[in-house]
Amino acid sequence: MNLPSIDLSGPLLWFANRGTGIVLLVLYTLVVVLGILSAAGRGPSRFIPRFVTQGLHRNLALLATVLLAAHVATAVIDTYVDIRWFDAFLPVGGLYRPFYLGMGALSLDLLLAVGVTSALRSRISERVWRRIHWLAYPSWAVAVIHSLGIGTDIGSPWGRWTVLACVGAVLAAVAGRAVTRRVQVVRS
Amino acid sequence: MNWTIRVDWPSCLARGLCAELLPERIHLDEWGYPVINGEVTTDVLRHAKAAANACPHRALRLLKAT
Amino acid sequence: MSRIEAAPALADDGTARRSLIRRSVPRTVRTDPPAQVVANPGPVLLSGVLDGPSLAAHRDRFGPMPRLDLDSVLATVGAGAVVGRGGAGFPFARKLAAAAAGKRRAVVVVNLAEGEPASAKDTALALLAPHQILDGAEVVAHALHTTDVHIVTPADRPAVGDAIAAALAERASSTGRGRSRRGLPQWRVRAAAPSFVSGQARAVLELLAGRPGLPVTAWQPEAMSGLDGRPTLLSNAETWAQVAAVLRLGAQGYAALGTAAEPGTTLLTLPHRRDRDTAVVVEAAYGTPWADVLGTDVDRPVLLGGFHGTWAGAGALAHVTVSRDELRARGLALGAGVVLPLRLGQCPVAMTGEIVDYLAGQSARRCGPCLNGLPALADEVRRLALGDTSASWTRIGTVVGLVDKRGACAHPDGTARLVRSLLTTFDDEVILHLSGRCSR
Repeated sequence: MNLPSIDLSGPLLWFANRGTGIVLLVLYTLVVVLGILSAAGRGPSRFIPRFVTQGLHRNLALLATVLLAAHVATAVIDTYVDIRWFDAFLPVGGLYRPFYLGMGALSLDLLLAVGVTSALRSRISERVWRRIHWLAYPSWAVAVIHSLGIGTDIGSPWGRWTVLACVGAVLAAVAGRAVTRRVQVVRS
Repeated sequence: MNWTIRVDWPSCLARGLCAELLPERIHLDEWGYPVINGEVTTDVLRHAKAAANACPHRALRLLKAT
Repeated sequence: MSRIEAAPALADDGTARRSLIRRSVPRTVRTDPPAQVVANPGPVLLSGVLDGPSLAAHRDRFGPMPRLDLDSVLATVGAGAVVGRGGAGFPFARKLAAAAAGKRRAVVVVNLAEGEPASAKDTALALLAPHQILDGAEVVAHALHTTDVHIVTPADRPAVGDAIAAALAERASSTGRGRSRRGLPQWRVRAAAPSFVSGQARAVLELLAGRPGLPVTAWQPEAMSGLDGRPTLLSNAETWAQVAAVLRLGAQGYAALGTAAEPGTTLLTLPHRRDRDTAVVVEAAYGTPWADVLGTDVDRPVLLGGFHGTWAGAGALAHVTVSRDELRARGLALGAGVVLPLRLGQCPVAMTGEIVDYLAGQSARRCGPCLNGLPALADEVRRLALGDTSASWTRIGTVVGLVDKRGACAHPDGTARLVRSLLTTFDDEVILHLSGRCSR
């Protein structure tokens, strides 16, 4: 029987990797922003129910995990560039654009800590979970750095605008949260 | 088999998700903190578990009613 | 469920009149510990006060400490129906059995952190008969096969800490020669913060664990899982002294005083008749008529049980005895034995307002309903006390319902109990105040 063959050095895997990469950047930005919004607010919510914001935060993070697996898999399987499976986890020793690849690996490692602790949340102390969850910030920031140098799409205008929008969104959310926190403290 | 809802008051920060997900048993007082009204029966058990799982500070717990 | 059924009908004069009885609530309630404590000699715990607090005098009068195994201790404290003297009145035998049933080695804690400012019974024991407390803790620790004994003293009553340190030093030097040191308790003394809630059981355990001495939620009773998850037998100082007494005298000897249902004695704190800075501690057998304890004050209203207590109306105690059961049947509670008769010219509404104000300030500020609700309750009761006609019975009832049982400790519950009791016992006074008047 003739199985359809995928040319492991052809552009299909490369496109899939770039595609998942862009989508992941936007997705994780959304997850971080939703996380910041989830942490705000006391008493009855005014606009959107809080469980919706939280549910979106959790579910988009799950979706992103699936996409991340695809993103890593397509990079490893693709034989056009030499990315081995352990390069996805080890921040050093990569052969293809080692610094930016390492940033990707670092981001994934931090994300693993966040993800595993969240999956096992009922078994660990709240304090430990919360401290590790803060690693989501550096994980996202390092992922942005990864996206800036790992590919060619960053050269294009839409690539640049996407990154700018993502960074802007997170900065705006952080600033907004800092302001409302101060207001809350003053009011109490 | 009923369950009781217990609030870990020092951890509760009046975020309000529990009242959103289990309005049959939880409403918020004038300061935003949950007022528990009755035990969890089988008809609302699913929502009660969702409420306990949704609390951002794990301040809501379901305990087997004695 | 609140016992307040409905607001009584008020005469409606159609105008929003805000007459006040007075500008501010006068400060008449003492919220500091007494400067001096006087203890009258008593039949059991206070039988040796005139001999002094030394170990030698203690052994002369009471003999050597019994060394009993767990079964004997359980049987004796069970037959003697020893209940906790910290306010909750929990059967000691049940606590002991729970701690003994644990898989891990137990911890014994003596709670001497008398957080209630008006109470002085534990202070009196520590200053005048400390070895009664220490004997009780030592015997039970031995029966539980543990050497970990902690004593928590009040930071705002330094004399207590000094007295305990001196008593422990006496015990240490008396075992220096000859006797084996194995099996003797390792005493650890710690000072609790000077606050009302610092004497709460979980707050004490937090302090011993090295964290701030504030209440946390208890998912299991501390007798099952307390300090470091170990079974922890934490009891009030007087309880330990009562345990020592019943083990010394035997259940029958102990039951020579008191009643069949409530054998033994209990310590009460009363205010000194003339000196506002002094508290008087008396030992009364259960079943003693309140008329004997209070004299002519029995015809006055009495706040029973301290700041978390209940109001007995004028003469309500006249034909009642010192008995937890009798008091409970009348909606009253002995609590930690603080007895505060209302003074001539003192208004119970104003006094309650002052107390609630103090209690609101003593919140650990850890639990939302307490942190928000107690100051709101203090506001409402203050309005009532001042005769401000914007005060509302329903509103007070609502806030009481919002604080009761919605916290990690019993601080809001006790405050709710006090206010409910005011509304029940002094409903006529409250109605007067709601229309801007006062009978005093």
